[in-house]
Amino acid sequence: MMLALTSDIKTPLHAIRPSIKLAAMSIAVGIVFALSSVPHLAIAVAITALIYLSMGLKFAREGLRMLRPLRSFLVLVLVIQTLIGDPMSGVIVCLRLSAAVAIANLVTLTTRLEAMIDLVMRLAAPLRFVGLSPRALALAMAMVLRFVPVFLSRANTMQDAFRARSIRRPTFYIVMPLIISVLEDADQIALALRARGGLDGGYEP
Amino acid sequence: MQTKENTLVMVALFAALVAVLGLIPAIPMPWGVPITAQSLGVMLAGAVLGGRKGGLALVLFVFLVALGLPLLAGGRGGLGVFASPTVGFVLGFPVAAFVTGAVMSRSGMNPVLASGIASFIGGIVVLYVMGIAGFYLMTDKSLVASITIMATYIPGDVVKVVLTAIIVGALAKARPQSLLSRA
Amino acid sequence: MTVPLIDVTDVHFRYGERDVLNGITLIGSERRIGVVGRNGSGKSTLARVMAGLVAPNRGEVRIAGCQVLQDRKTAISTVGILFQNPDHQIIFPTVGEEIGFGLRQLGQSKSEAQTQTRAMLASFGREAWLDRPVSALSQGQRHLVCLMAVLAMQPKVIILDEPFAGLDIPTIRTLEGYLSRLDQTLVHITHYPTKLEGFERVIWIDGGVILRDGRPQEVLPVFLSAMERDDAGADL
Repeated sequence: MMLALTSDIKTPLHAIRPSIKLAAMSIAVGIVFALSSVPHLAIAVAITALIYLSMGLKFAREGLRMLRPLRSFLVLVLVIQTLIGDPMSGVIVCLRLSAAVAIANLVTLTTRLEAMIDLVMRLAAPLRFVGLSPRALALAMAMVLRFVPVFLSRANTMQDAFRARSIRRPTFYIVMPLIISVLEDADQIALALRARGGLDGGYEP
Repeated sequence: MQTKENTLVMVALFAALVAVLGLIPAIPMPWGVPITAQSLGVMLAGAVLGGRKGGLALVLFVFLVALGLPLLAGGRGGLGVFASPTVGFVLGFPVAAFVTGAVMSRSGMNPVLASGIASFIGGIVVLYVMGIAGFYLMTDKSLVASITIMATYIPGDVVKVVLTAIIVGALAKARPQSLLSRA
Repeated sequence: MTVPLIDVTDVHFRYGERDVLNGITLIGSERRIGVVGRNGSGKSTLARVMAGLVAPNRGEVRIAGCQVLQDRKTAISTVGILFQNPDHQIIFPTVGEEIGFGLRQLGQSKSEAQTQTRAMLASFGREAWLDRPVSALSQGQRHLVCLMAVLAMQPKVIILDEPFAGLDIPTIRTLEGYLSRLDQTLVHITHYPTKLEGFERVIWIDGGVILRDGRPQEVLPVFLSAMERDDAGADL
C-alpha cells in the first residue's frame, strides 16, 4: 500500500481510539480559532509543542517536518503585514495556524490508515438511508490506493519513453497518454470487478 | 455499456489520476511561480466524467487526503491540511470538478471550446472563489492584501485550461465513448 | 441426462461496426479445453461472454447450467476468469484484501473470509503475503495473487485469457504447474499451441467463427501450418 503519513514512532497516542482523538482534536482546534490575543495563542503553541516533545524528540521533528509547507506561507504573511503596518495581526495568524495545523496533524501522525478507514465506514453507515452505499465507498477507496502506485509507475515509464526520444521536459506531454491508459484500464477493471460479483455481491467493508 | 461497476471504477481511477498528477514534479515557469499538474486533473475529471461523477471523484480524493494520505501536490496530506490557509482550494476541488462537468455537459458547443470554457469557469473562477473564501476565514480580514499573491498562479492555471481543451478535444476524436460528460 | 458443463449456443457479438463473434457454438464437459486463434480473432471476447461479463447480441451461455449473464450471484461461484494483465484484475492494495474480497462477495463473514484467505495462501506456501502490498510484488507474483483470488471462490470452470504473457520461463512453468494440478475445468485461451499439449479438446477460432474443433493432435498441426504459411499475413 502507498505510504500514509502515520508516524512509525510508537507513541501513547497510537493506542487511543481514533474517534476520541478526532473529537479532542476538533475541540482543540475550535479553541485555538477562538483565541485572539498573542499571549493566549503563544500558550496554545507552547502546549502543542510540549505534547509533541513529550512523545520524544524524533517524533517532534517529524511533526515539524509536517508543518514545513506552512512555513513559506507564514513568512510571506508576516512580511506583507509588516509592510502594510499591521505586524500584530500577522503574528496572531502565524501562531494560530501553526497551533491548529500541528494539532490536526497529531491525529494523522498517530492513527493508522486502516483505523481511519474503519472509523469512516462506521460514520458512513447512515448514508445507506440516503442511497449512498458504504460498500461502494470502501471499494472506491481501495481502488485509489491500489492504482496510485500503478499509474505512478506507468507515468514514470512514459516519462522515460519520452526522454529517450526527446530533449524536452516530459511533464505535461505524458498527461494525455496517462488519461488514455486510465480510460482503457477502467473498462478492464470494471469487468474484473463484475467477474467477482461487482457491486451486488456480499462484500461489506 | 455503462454499468454501476464502470461508474465506480471511473470515479476511483480519476481520483487516482489526480493524485498521480500531484506527484509529477512541478515545472518552473518564466514568471517565477511553478505550476503543478494537480488542478489540471481536477479540470479533466470534470470535463471527461461530467459534473456528478467528476465531483464524486474529487470528493473521494479529498477524503483520502483527510484520512492521512500525502496525495496533494508536494506530498501534503492529513487533517492539518484542513486547518491550513489553503483549505478553500482543497475543499474547492470537488466543487470545481462538479461545475466544470456541469458546464461541459450543458454546453452544446464543440468539445474543445466547451471544455475550455467549462474548465475556466470551474477550475479557475470557482476554485479561486472557494480558495479565497477559505483563506479569508482561516486568516483575518486584515490579510486580504495577501490575496494578491494568488494572482501569480493564474497564468499557470490558464495554461492548464488550454491543456484541458486540447486533451478533451483529442479524446473526443480518439475515444468518444469515454467522454462521459457528453454521453 | 447430465447438463454439459459448458454450453455456448450460437453466440453473436457485435462491437461497433464489427462482428466479433459470428455464431459460436461450443458444448462439452472436457476438463481441459484450449482455444487458439490469431490477434483479433474473437478469443478474448468469447472469454468475456463465457464468463457472463458482456452480453452477446444473440445466443446463450450456460456454465454448469447457470445462466452466467443473468444470474450473477450463482455465476461468480461457477466461473472464474484470469485476465492477461494482473494490474487490470487486482482491485485491492494488499494481497489479503484481494483474496478475501471474492469470499466476502460470496457471503462469507469477515472472519470466515480471513481464515480461508490464510488457507489459500498456505496452500501455495505464501502465508507471509497476507498483509503484503500488491505494489511490492513482482509481475509473476501478481499473477499468482490473481490465480489464488480466483481459486478461493472455488469456481467449477476457470477461463484463462492468455495469462502469463511477458513472464520469464521458470515463472511460467511454475504457474502452469499449479494450473495443471487443478481439479477445475480449464478453458485456456492462447496463441501458443505448445501450451495445449495433453488437452482433451482444442478449438480454433478465426474471424469470429470456429474453424476447427477436435483433439489437439487433429487441430493444432493444421493451425500451426496455417500460421507459418508465407501468405498468412502479419497482423501489422
